[in-house]
Amino acid sequence: MFFTDFLYLLRDYGVPVSPRDALDLYRGLGKGLVRTLEDFFVLARLTFVRKVEHLDAFERAFALYFYGVDVPRVAEGDMELFRTKQFREWLAEAIRAGEVPRTALWTMDPQELMRKFWETVRRQMEAHDGGNRWIGTGGTSPFGHSGFAQRGVRVHGEGGNRSALKVIGDRRYISYSETNTLKAENLRQALEEMKRLKREGARDELDLAETVRLTCKNGGDIELALNRELRDRISLVLMIDNGGFSMYPYIDITRLLFSRMKYRFKDLTTCFFHNTIYGNVWTDQQRTVPLKTEKILERPEDTRLVIVGDASMAPEELETPGGAISFGVSDELPSTYWLKRLADRFRQSVWLNPISREEWEDAYGTWTLTKIREIFHMEDLTLRGIKAMVKRLSEK
Amino acid sequence: MEDTNDHRLTFQGTDRYYLDPELKSIVNIALAMEKPLLLTGEAGTGKTQLALEVARALDLPIEIMRAKSTIKGEEACYTQDTVLRLNDARFGSGQTGRQVQNFYDYVVWGPIGRAFRADAKVVLLLDEIDKTESDVQDNLLDILEDCSFVIREVNEIVRARVRPAIFITSNAKRELSDPFLRRCYCHHIAFPRPEQMREIVKLHYPAIPPELIEAALTIFYELRNRGFEKPPATSELLNWIGALELTNEIPDKDNPPLIGTLLKRSSDIQAHRKGGRRRHFM
Repeated sequence: MFFTDFLYLLRDYGVPVSPRDALDLYRGLGKGLVRTLEDFFVLARLTFVRKVEHLDAFERAFALYFYGVDVPRVAEGDMELFRTKQFREWLAEAIRAGEVPRTALWTMDPQELMRKFWETVRRQMEAHDGGNRWIGTGGTSPFGHSGFAQRGVRVHGEGGNRSALKVIGDRRYISYSETNTLKAENLRQALEEMKRLKREGARDELDLAETVRLTCKNGGDIELALNRELRDRISLVLMIDNGGFSMYPYIDITRLLFSRMKYRFKDLTTCFFHNTIYGNVWTDQQRTVPLKTEKILERPEDTRLVIVGDASMAPEELETPGGAISFGVSDELPSTYWLKRLADRFRQSVWLNPISREEWEDAYGTWTLTKIREIFHMEDLTLRGIKAMVKRLSEK
Repeated sequence: MEDTNDHRLTFQGTDRYYLDPELKSIVNIALAMEKPLLLTGEAGTGKTQLALEVARALDLPIEIMRAKSTIKGEEACYTQDTVLRLNDARFGSGQTGRQVQNFYDYVVWGPIGRAFRADAKVVLLLDEIDKTESDVQDNLLDILEDCSFVIREVNEIVRARVRPAIFITSNAKRELSDPFLRRCYCHHIAFPRPEQMREIVKLHYPAIPPELIEAALTIFYELRNRGFEKPPATSELLNWIGALELTNEIPDKDNPPLIGTLLKRSSDIQAHRKGGRRRHFM
């Protein structure tokens, strides 16, 4: 059976495909629906992709498998690019080829570096685009020459459609992608997820119909049936790391996300910290009005705690007593002491990290990030991360 | 069930509907594979319109189920008019020709029932399916997959003579269940790109000068990018251009006229007056 490794690639990219889909694809091929690679692109997408959040992943997998173009999951212009494998590989290659200086990462303007990267991607795409030829015989695809050609599917030129690669190049679905970082474009989707955040209350609402039924069954002796009240609302403490440039893009959007949901919460407290938490946090963005962490720890145990931060800092900030770098914060106890107490007190807590899960192992702050992960359950600030967070916060 | 493959239907778009070539392939693949096509996307991307235009272009009758939250799967297939039957049993059916003992005289067919009982291929549109409860969706699923349903009262099966071309739309108010998605082809209609939007506008207003369209589109896409609570969509744009046509003035970029046709929320309009709601996050 051919295309098997394409199916596995899709799974690796997070697109759930099943054998039934594969059979469906063959049924479509058998009906003669595919004459061009563009037709195949459309048929495969219809067959394998059910949810809009998987579309971008599908398109990237397709570009890699059939064209050997490895498109990173981030959008053009997103600084996250520097954390991707594709960028690192490109940079190493560009340095070797002498296109950028060895010190590019420090000496070159990041915008310029990003522009150069995306130019290369576009060049690769154009090189592969259009024409009457065999596809998949070149490029740097890990699948090498095993594209369409050797499997005996002849690809005739372009149909009436725009070519598949051009379509992929548009990245039309990237803002819906579930691995995409939270931003204005997918805020609505994230809100939909947040609406699932609820807890069932005590059984204290009388179910009249069921009561009548049970009472009849009971021979007239009254038997009460109670329902859970579903509108019981929860208290939530949101702590945001607003120190450091790396967090700027995420502060407003996270606050917006939670404040839009305010009516769902019994109360919502937002406070700020720099890099990590010590004996004080602050209730304003400028960090002038302190709030004792001790005070927060006095809240009821079923308070939900969400911490937003990149968990990346110098190791001593986390582990050394008095390790805080901000002026005016002196603390005898190391930050880990406070983090552990918060995590112990509030069992339903989540640390949301704007660094995506894929990069946790080799981000600049991996050491502290890993330490914090030992204390808090961590998710990334993406749609899938928010989904997981909602699930965790709604648990009993 | 007849095999309809020999006279395969292909949809080419119509004079009233701008059809993206990609969407054309998608519709035709779904028609050929005889799978339900689930269309999702923002309001104003033409989901419902597509099904109507397919029916018009292929000259097929169309049956439409407009979903409501209260709908149960069964009434989309049939309902039995019990009250009428009781009335006839008590007072006689008079000149109507109905026979009280004949169950089928009191059946009212719903859109699915009519589509299955039709002699030729029809287009069946299930509009805004996400408004229904998820168990209703699951019931519908089996019905659509087998193209048959049971009339419980008489335990008889109604089976489609010709499999209808099924279109389903969803505004994604609620997520559809995985089994449901698995049995459909799903397509998310992305918001039209400027060049597509130009075609759409031209279809609706063939007489408008191109400079006006260009200026309007520039303002429109700029507004969409500003992160308003309710960003303007296609229908707002078309209304706005319709209004501009009357004044026949090129809209001013910094102070677009008739802003109320584009922005609907008062908070958005106020933000716009202050020149605001830029995208400050990102």
